[in-house]
Amino acid sequence: MDWNWFHRMGSPRWFYLVTSRWMPWLSAATLILLVTGLVWGMGFAPEDARQGNSFRIIYLHVPAAFLALAGYFLMAAAGAVGLIWKMKLSYMVMKCAAPIGAALTFVALFTGAVWGKPTWGSYWVWDARVTSMLILFFLYVGVMALRNAFHSQEAGNKASAVLALVGTVNIPIIYKSVDWWFTLHQPSTIKLTSAPTMHPDMFQPLLVMILGFYCFYALALLLSVRVEILKRERKTAWVREIVGEHLTLKDSGLR
Amino acid sequence: MKFQFENLPDFIAMDGHGFYVWAAVIVAALISAWLIISPLIRLRQVIKDIAQEVAIENIHKSEGEGSK
Amino acid sequence: MVTKTRSIFFTYLRRDLLISYRRRGETIGPAIFFVMATTLVPLALSPEAESLRGIAAGIIWVMALFATLLSVENVFASDFKDGSLEQLLIGPNLLVMPVLGKVMAHWLTTGVPLAIISPILGLMLSLPSEAFIPLVASLALGTASLSLIGALGAALTVSLQKGGLLLTLIVMPLYIPIIIFGSATAQYGIDGFTWTGPLAILGVLFAVVMVLCPLAIAGILRLTTIT
Repeated sequence: MDWNWFHRMGSPRWFYLVTSRWMPWLSAATLILLVTGLVWGMGFAPEDARQGNSFRIIYLHVPAAFLALAGYFLMAAAGAVGLIWKMKLSYMVMKCAAPIGAALTFVALFTGAVWGKPTWGSYWVWDARVTSMLILFFLYVGVMALRNAFHSQEAGNKASAVLALVGTVNIPIIYKSVDWWFTLHQPSTIKLTSAPTMHPDMFQPLLVMILGFYCFYALALLLSVRVEILKRERKTAWVREIVGEHLTLKDSGLR
Repeated sequence: MKFQFENLPDFIAMDGHGFYVWAAVIVAALISAWLIISPLIRLRQVIKDIAQEVAIENIHKSEGEGSK
Repeated sequence: MVTKTRSIFFTYLRRDLLISYRRRGETIGPAIFFVMATTLVPLALSPEAESLRGIAAGIIWVMALFATLLSVENVFASDFKDGSLEQLLIGPNLLVMPVLGKVMAHWLTTGVPLAIISPILGLMLSLPSEAFIPLVASLALGTASLSLIGALGAALTVSLQKGGLLLTLIVMPLYIPIIIFGSATAQYGIDGFTWTGPLAILGVLFAVVMVLCPLAIAGILRLTTIT
């Protein structure tokens, strides 16, 4: 099988040039989806019978939590590719994905807490999902801290890639354990999102927001990785050419 | 599908839950904005740095040629 | 006839046990911490049996976890410093066996003493008598997993200067399933449920950890210490 495309993808220059074409579209899609979804959810979706208007936070909480978890798996996958194929670019993706995922986890935790207060009376409930989100945050912080602790970038990449993979294996185990632990002490299980039987009028804006967050994640990640590429490949001719273009654009007042 | 609130003050009040809903929106918006702005700031810095490096190299090169 | 792999395991088991014996003062550190830290709890809370009884099992488990964390760095740290770890990595043998031997030595010198001491602490914290056997059983089995997972963290941070705090940070989330089922075993004993349930889950976790960790540790040591 021709694996050329795969190895070409590992070239930072190729990646930079290809993604350059996507960026405007991605930015537009992100903006449109997020604004549409937010306005729809905040203003036009019907309010929940039990929770009232505080349930609107779901349009932020669920997409953030989704992407926080998906982002961790992406980070771990990038680490795995880096370990197996020794692709520099893959390690760059892993490095950039970590803070984005951690930030989204924080958003999920904050919005979850703020949602909990009017709905269940307290900012924090030790249920399985919330607790697992908190642990996910610690897993992210651990990967970032470990990577930064090494003098050698290569060793740091390898170590944090392994840790990310170990965390990946653990996430389902941790979730199951915490779930078991929580139901042990709280026989009346609290459901933190409205049951899957959500009215389509409430569900559609949620779908839009989830898609919007996906695009947002991709946008933030690509922006970050592209900067990282320029930084690493600073000595090459193609990077200097691009820098030159940026500067002339700035000089001619177009920026 | 209709707008769920009578007017703007009602929209902001959110039937008493306004503080929570808007706190969530604002924090999410701030963090998301940061996730986009931060790489852009870094980009500007990288471009400045690389331009500086090129300038220094050029000076060294011309000095080297001048001393021949 | 003893196979080569098995003799390597015992070689390293014996070696680390010997080293621990020679550094006796250091080796009993976790046990002393265990006792002292647990003593703090009634002082901080209240001496009343009623309030202590409910949390005793959990407190003992948390302290055992901390005590394990304190000492697990030593599995690889001293060998790294004096170069014997590098010697081990250069050698032609499987790394898995030496790693297993060293981790087992750690468990024998940390986890097992903790399990043995725990009834005394149970007494101090008014732990109901029905909980003693499940507590000891859960600690004996659980600390084996704690040693293995902790060694994973130790391998990741072995070449770092201030590895200790980072080690705690990265290992904590991984410890959570162990502590949940470990303290639940003791708690079930108190509440009168069949405590062999959570203990069995602890056993499953141990089986998984036992298979995966040594391989992961061997890989990590090769990857990060020879760059």
